[in-house]
Amino acid sequence: MTAPADLREFISAYLVEAEEHLAVANTQLLAVEAAQRSGSTNPRAVRETFRSLHTIKGLSAMVGVEPIVAIAHRMESFLRDFDRSGGTIPPRAIDALLKGVRAIEHRVTALGRGDSAAPPSDELLTELDSMGLAAGPIARMPEASLNLDPAILAKLAPFEVDQIFRGISQGMRALRAEFSPSPARAAEGLTINSVRERVATVADIVRVLPRATPITPDSPGGLSFVLLLLTRATNEVLVQAGGLAASAFHSIAREVTEADAALQPSIAEVLTNSADDQSFDTQTRRGVVRVDVNRLDEAMEGLSALIVTRFRLVRSIAAMNERGVNTRELSQIMTENSRQLRDLRAALVRVRMVPVSELLERVPLLVRGLCRATNRAVRLELEGGSAELDKSVSERLFPVIVHLVRNAVDHAIESPDERLRRGKPEEGLLRITCSARGSAHLEITISDDGRGIDRAAVAQKAGRTSPSDNADLLGLLCIPGLSTREIASTTSGRGMGMEIVKRTVVDELGGELEVASELGVGTTFTLRVPLTISIVDAFSFECGEQRFVVPVSMVDEIIEVDPSGVVHVPANDDGSPSVDIISRRGVAVPMIQLSQVFRLQPGAKASPKAIIVRRAGAPIAFAVDRMLGQQEVVIRPVNDVLVRAPGVSGATDLGDGRPTLVLDLVALSVSLNALPHALGASR
Amino acid sequence: MTEILVVDDSKVMRDMIVACLRAIPDTSFVHASSGLEAIERLSLAPFDLLVLDLNMPDIGGIEVLEFVRGQDTLRALPVLIVTTRGDDQSRERVMQAGATGFLPKPFTPDSIIAEVRAILTGRAESVA
Repeated sequence: MTAPADLREFISAYLVEAEEHLAVANTQLLAVEAAQRSGSTNPRAVRETFRSLHTIKGLSAMVGVEPIVAIAHRMESFLRDFDRSGGTIPPRAIDALLKGVRAIEHRVTALGRGDSAAPPSDELLTELDSMGLAAGPIARMPEASLNLDPAILAKLAPFEVDQIFRGISQGMRALRAEFSPSPARAAEGLTINSVRERVATVADIVRVLPRATPITPDSPGGLSFVLLLLTRATNEVLVQAGGLAASAFHSIAREVTEADAALQPSIAEVLTNSADDQSFDTQTRRGVVRVDVNRLDEAMEGLSALIVTRFRLVRSIAAMNERGVNTRELSQIMTENSRQLRDLRAALVRVRMVPVSELLERVPLLVRGLCRATNRAVRLELEGGSAELDKSVSERLFPVIVHLVRNAVDHAIESPDERLRRGKPEEGLLRITCSARGSAHLEITISDDGRGIDRAAVAQKAGRTSPSDNADLLGLLCIPGLSTREIASTTSGRGMGMEIVKRTVVDELGGELEVASELGVGTTFTLRVPLTISIVDAFSFECGEQRFVVPVSMVDEIIEVDPSGVVHVPANDDGSPSVDIISRRGVAVPMIQLSQVFRLQPGAKASPKAIIVRRAGAPIAFAVDRMLGQQEVVIRPVNDVLVRAPGVSGATDLGDGRPTLVLDLVALSVSLNALPHALGASR
Repeated sequence: MTEILVVDDSKVMRDMIVACLRAIPDTSFVHASSGLEAIERLSLAPFDLLVLDLNMPDIGGIEVLEFVRGQDTLRALPVLIVTTRGDDQSRERVMQAGATGFLPKPFTPDSIIAEVRAILTGRAESVA
């Protein structure tokens, strides 16, 4: 008998799943609101919201997070009423629900930080409690005239019947397909989950129901699944995509009479909003494993250790070879091993990639909130595409997008009155597109059709001459401190915090930032960022009044250097740096003056330090002036040929906006070929 | 070996259920993430117990239960309903639909183990 399970261990998995359900709830609530604003309804989205909150409540109860149980329980109970009464939610209740989702989000974030979840305020609970009364009576099943078995028809929700009617009158074919599972089909990968996923690529699945059948060779389980579909695809396409026999498809549409069509007045509106597509998205997410980013980092660290071990192996094989041992077979294995390590690294990098659509998931909610706060009317167009980027890039990029979106809605897009006066549509347009550029970069554009940037006014505020081109304009906007409210209101507010945008995109991620703006017409920001970056824990230090960083994993030890114990070895004539010898715990260690390697003026050394690394197992010290600290840094590749040099593995930004070199001290010591001679001389 | 099919659309919930029930010796577990997948698995291989959530995206636990009770081959399969809707009305509805046991969430490891043990023992007795 094993020890009893402790359900608290599931808290991190719970947090990840809760976040996912919260994202679904937000998206679906906005879909409900969008449908209702266009005079339609989206009962499926109401049901999805209900289900998300129900699941959050159940999971929170299991891991003992009572404050979230309390909030989710209230939201769930009145969502159930709205679901039963046909899927309309009054605007006031949508606000309350979004507020509730936000309250849960705050608590999930707090738990993620290791804090406890605060109890909900009485105010929130009272507000949520008062919403349950707003739901109408339970909805009635619409009159149906579908060519369907009454037993199946009885199992459909009113909105599903409604969906079939709408599809038919939009010219789609309504079909009933059958799939009988069997062990043979399962062995071929044909299961209800896979069939459903495949069919969903060419048809909208309204509902899937199980049906008991007589046991036959074709249906050994006595079971078949009935799939109710809406599609524009031909039977041929369906057969190919779904892996089902052609005989499996039957039309369920009777002749559509004019009276039927008249019963469905809101079809056009429904089809213009993609609410139904979104609810299908949640189904295609199956088969996805959620992993804590820290675990991926652990895997990456494990891989780094493997690479270091391989390095040692290569060296010892080389040493064997020097001794005259035949290492041909070993070398072949090492070549193979090298390729496998590269593949493994690529696979791990891919695991860290998230779809760009995830980055944009929260933008609609943000825009909605901003519009409310500023009385703007904004239509949001999102074009996410299928690009993927590293989770850590995505996390750094999100605040930038929030910033640019906020500026656009807050300041660039005029009030509806002003827009009408200027002959613009009342509703402003905010458009965000993401597309892959080559295999390594993502391009994001954020454009508005607002008032544009008044160059002369920005220049005057900055005390500069008017910018001659867009690059100059961007330079002006990114001047730190050019963020007065005055600027914000007289121009488009682009000055606000733009230096932070630039720092993240250009300095931290190594990307590009551009602006194009026309007065009175609008502004577009274009961001190009790498899809992946690497982050390491690093020591920063100063040497010759320059800052450098070195990855922590590379450092064996950092020691104080006692100047009186240093033995100087004269430098060679060839200009290579001199080598000193220091004693570490009684062992002589060669020490290289880093300032000499980079030809820097030696700085003031009140208490000089040495960073010790190991090369092929032997310690080597690098003398530096001062250690600054330890922090996580983003390493970006250095492509500039003038900077690319042995011992420099990349560049980073320590937050001061200046590029700082990331040193690979092991590679640096290898490149200093004077070293063995100097060592020999000291013995 | 007792084969248990655990059905819940939440992976965390399935993992928690399995973590609790592992304490019972000689058990093995199969996961299903939806009602439809559960029905499919039940029609293809025999199980000794079905642990079933009620609220799922495609077809709910009640529908799964009704289907199971309507099938000759599955009629005798013990079904434990595990649900966040723990009120008496739900319990009554579930038991009427043919559930063998009813366990409201949140449950403790001890409570689900006791429930499953009782169901499996009861079944052994009725067979004997």
